[in-house]
Amino acid sequence: MSKPLKIFLKLLLAVLGFFAVTFTVYIFNLDMKLTALIEPILLKHYDRIQKDTHL
Amino acid sequence: MAKKVGADRFGDFYIDGGKVRKRREWRGFSDTMYDYSRWLKIMMTLGKFVMKPRNVKAMLRYRWMANYLAVPMMVDRHTQGLRGEYLRICHEEQDLIIDDVAKLLDNLFRGDRRIGNDEEFSKKVVLVDENEMTTVMMGFPNLKCLSRETPSTYVSVLLNQHAAEYYIDVAQEFGLAGDVCPMPEAEAGVSIDDDAPVLGACALQCNTTCDGSLLGNGVISRRLEKEDGIPVFQLAAPLRHREDDVQDYAAQEIKNAIAFVEEHTGEKWDWKHYFECARRVNFATQCRQEWLEMNRTPYPQVFGSNLALYTETNYMAICGKIPEFETADRRITALARKAYEKKKMAAKEYRHRAIIWGVQSHYYMDFLVWLLNCWGIVPLTDMLSMVSTRVLKEEDTPENRETAYYDMAWLTENMIMRNRTHGGYKVLLDELWEFVEMFNADMVILWEHISCKALDGMHGMFEEKAREKGIPLIWVQHDLFDPRIISRQGVRDQVNTYMRTVMNEEPIDPSLEVLHDEQSW
Amino acid sequence: MKDLKHLAFFEKLLLEANNELIRKAQQGGRICIAYTCENTPEPLLNLAGTFSARLRAPRTGSMEIATYYLTSFLCEYSRALLERAIEGGFNFADAIITPDGCSMMNRCVENMELLSALGKGKDKFFYEYMEIPMKADDNGLALYTVQCRNHILKPLAENYGIDISEEAIRAAVAEHNHLCELIRAIGDFRKEENPRITGYEFHLITLATYAAPKDLLIPLLEETLEQLRTREPDEKSPFRARVLVAGSEIDDIDFIKLVEESGAYVCADRFCCGSFPGRDPIVLTDDEDALTQICRQYMYRGQCPRYMDSSKMDLRRIYVADLAKEYGADGIIYEQMKFCDPWAYEKMLGSHILREEYDYPVLAVDRPYNIGTSAGQMRTRVQAFVESIEIKKIQKGGANG
Repeated sequence: MSKPLKIFLKLLLAVLGFFAVTFTVYIFNLDMKLTALIEPILLKHYDRIQKDTHL
Repeated sequence: MAKKVGADRFGDFYIDGGKVRKRREWRGFSDTMYDYSRWLKIMMTLGKFVMKPRNVKAMLRYRWMANYLAVPMMVDRHTQGLRGEYLRICHEEQDLIIDDVAKLLDNLFRGDRRIGNDEEFSKKVVLVDENEMTTVMMGFPNLKCLSRETPSTYVSVLLNQHAAEYYIDVAQEFGLAGDVCPMPEAEAGVSIDDDAPVLGACALQCNTTCDGSLLGNGVISRRLEKEDGIPVFQLAAPLRHREDDVQDYAAQEIKNAIAFVEEHTGEKWDWKHYFECARRVNFATQCRQEWLEMNRTPYPQVFGSNLALYTETNYMAICGKIPEFETADRRITALARKAYEKKKMAAKEYRHRAIIWGVQSHYYMDFLVWLLNCWGIVPLTDMLSMVSTRVLKEEDTPENRETAYYDMAWLTENMIMRNRTHGGYKVLLDELWEFVEMFNADMVILWEHISCKALDGMHGMFEEKAREKGIPLIWVQHDLFDPRIISRQGVRDQVNTYMRTVMNEEPIDPSLEVLHDEQSW
Repeated sequence: MKDLKHLAFFEKLLLEANNELIRKAQQGGRICIAYTCENTPEPLLNLAGTFSARLRAPRTGSMEIATYYLTSFLCEYSRALLERAIEGGFNFADAIITPDGCSMMNRCVENMELLSALGKGKDKFFYEYMEIPMKADDNGLALYTVQCRNHILKPLAENYGIDISEEAIRAAVAEHNHLCELIRAIGDFRKEENPRITGYEFHLITLATYAAPKDLLIPLLEETLEQLRTREPDEKSPFRARVLVAGSEIDDIDFIKLVEESGAYVCADRFCCGSFPGRDPIVLTDDEDALTQICRQYMYRGQCPRYMDSSKMDLRRIYVADLAKEYGADGIIYEQMKFCDPWAYEKMLGSHILREEYDYPVLAVDRPYNIGTSAGQMRTRVQAFVESIEIKKIQKGGANG
């Protein structure tokens, strides 16, 4: 197999791999499902911040 | 999974009591790939944003930043069921707004004394209200006009229905009555809770939109001036904006505001830049009028929450200052023309043509998408999109410079919402029925923001006029920023009940009638 | 204390919007100009041939019809006025002039207009809406002057042929000032340690000057002042603390009465329909037209929370603190009518600032238009406040001693 073809195939594989992963994340809404898990952790963190609360 | 418009049961996408939806829509190959590519672009925008350490620092400092986790979902909520040109129009609008908000956040944190603390940059920043026309910044190309309230409260609630609750509670803990509008209440809460970025050479506040907003500014300016040392100018736009005898006052206020900015930033007003912005404002007006013209026909193209959200951003916050919005205007218009020629529809069935009046619920901005998909009610236009269409002077001449002050004043007086909620009953009550006729509407959906006293004060007259004209009027009560008072399902139930009992109709998509989305973003 | 001779008359007068003195003035051929907001300069409504009447809805009961038109979220003052107007209770008015002081008052009067609730059988009746400044500065003054000219003076001249000349305005100011000086003199007795006039009595007298023709009240006020000069207070004051009441519109005579029955003497009144700043005389000079001078003084002295510039906001709290000091208040009651947006914010800020920065005990309350509907709750709160002031006094005494 020639070198350019190898590079092309590797690139194609990388693109397809990227597509397969990101499209799966996209269609099954995995990005939002993950961030939904992060939100409560962040909210707990905010509750612990010392702030100068006053009028 | 369906390519055909309206073939999906949209209610099936929801998880009962869940925060997010089960999956994204399959819209046919080309539309799905298009939507996927735009999702990737949004992810890149967000990725670029979090690459900067200062933005991560801000994310960990400000509670309201957690809402930005929900950005992709906001787009999904607005693109539900859309195909072809409609999908593209929606993305043109939403993606540009996301990009603009990301830049706004980045700039805020760059200058923020707690985060980036770029002092030189901060000296070039003028803080503005969230609910304020930014016309007085149209001639300051070297200054950054930034609103802290836009990302902390306004956009936050669009992203996450529960975003403002914490800040509303903070304000009430400090003794604020619970019956005021929750928007300025939440903004005051952010200030009280010390959760607003601190930056800027000076700040411009405005008496838009209402008594609550005006007084809420007093809470914010107190901290800005007395603690942060940031001088504040309060721009008073006349309330009776249709009267000739207030225009001199309004124009003088604009002159005073410009002089204040010049004094505190050392910048000089640039007429060339102003007239360039004015040209863009005129172009945006021209496009909006063309869209509205299409919406008068059986084939409306740019309508619903997309029209409302885009108009709010472009008309009020942008005011011709950002050239990208002109490009978006062009693209949206081209897409709309194309779809109009093909007589395309955004849903499988249009049963009613409605004018949406009143102030929409921020925590349920995609209600209009639901209205279309569930009941086939086409939201032709809304109150917040029916703003000034005055053509501004574009040519730099001595006479036009003087007129320009009046143009800026006119726009400021006619900020979204306040151009209808103030200025006498004609602009709120009488003109609604003129629009009903103009758009061949057979129904009015009247958002009743229960804490908006200016709207509530016309309640009975709206009903009487609707009865007199024989137009079905559906009241949709909500509390703008607080879904604990009236939930999203509570909002939907008001339409469901009316449609079933008064109109005697069945929903087009029954799966949408009852949704357990009270925990949803 | 011996009863004031005219107190019963003032009480009776305030039981009706269309009171005896209004009827008497109209029988004499004078024009009654109704108004609803303290930002309407009163002398301009009291030119020769006219008199002003600030709209009130005494003895308000049900507000069902007004609630249908305005919803239950608008303040009860605006609803009570609309209800009374729909009932025909304000048909005595020959015109109504209202500034867009707040959204609720604006909607209230607009509904009156849309429902044709006023001016029945009066061909010359008119509604006028005014823009009034939200900031105290030169630009605001120019606006105020133009608005008063276009929406008060012009319509009065055109519809009723009223003389709106410089001389006529100056004469009206002179009469207004005479009344203000009488009110001030009567009110000054409140500074006494054991005052010879109660806050309730003073409130009645002051309120009457908003609700009835001023010229017809002046003889009664003069007589009252004379009586007060020799009036002996009770040996032992029934009050346990002195309070200043600040806040939104109070035209319900029972509110101040309730506060005093709960043990707190109301020594100063900083609210709409009160004497501060509404009964400050208007000082005119000869080097400028009277209209501009009236507007300037209304604008700069105005304590309405709709004034949004920082200096005005700060001055509002300083004004309350200064009054409290001058009248020897032990504490301050900030009150707001329920659903009033401007006072909701001002009450929060004012009560906080007066407590934190000026060290006054402060009670912040919201109240209905007609206190009769929740008198028990209010009484309990005021009583508790009085007790807390007493405890603080004892603690301070102990610390000093």
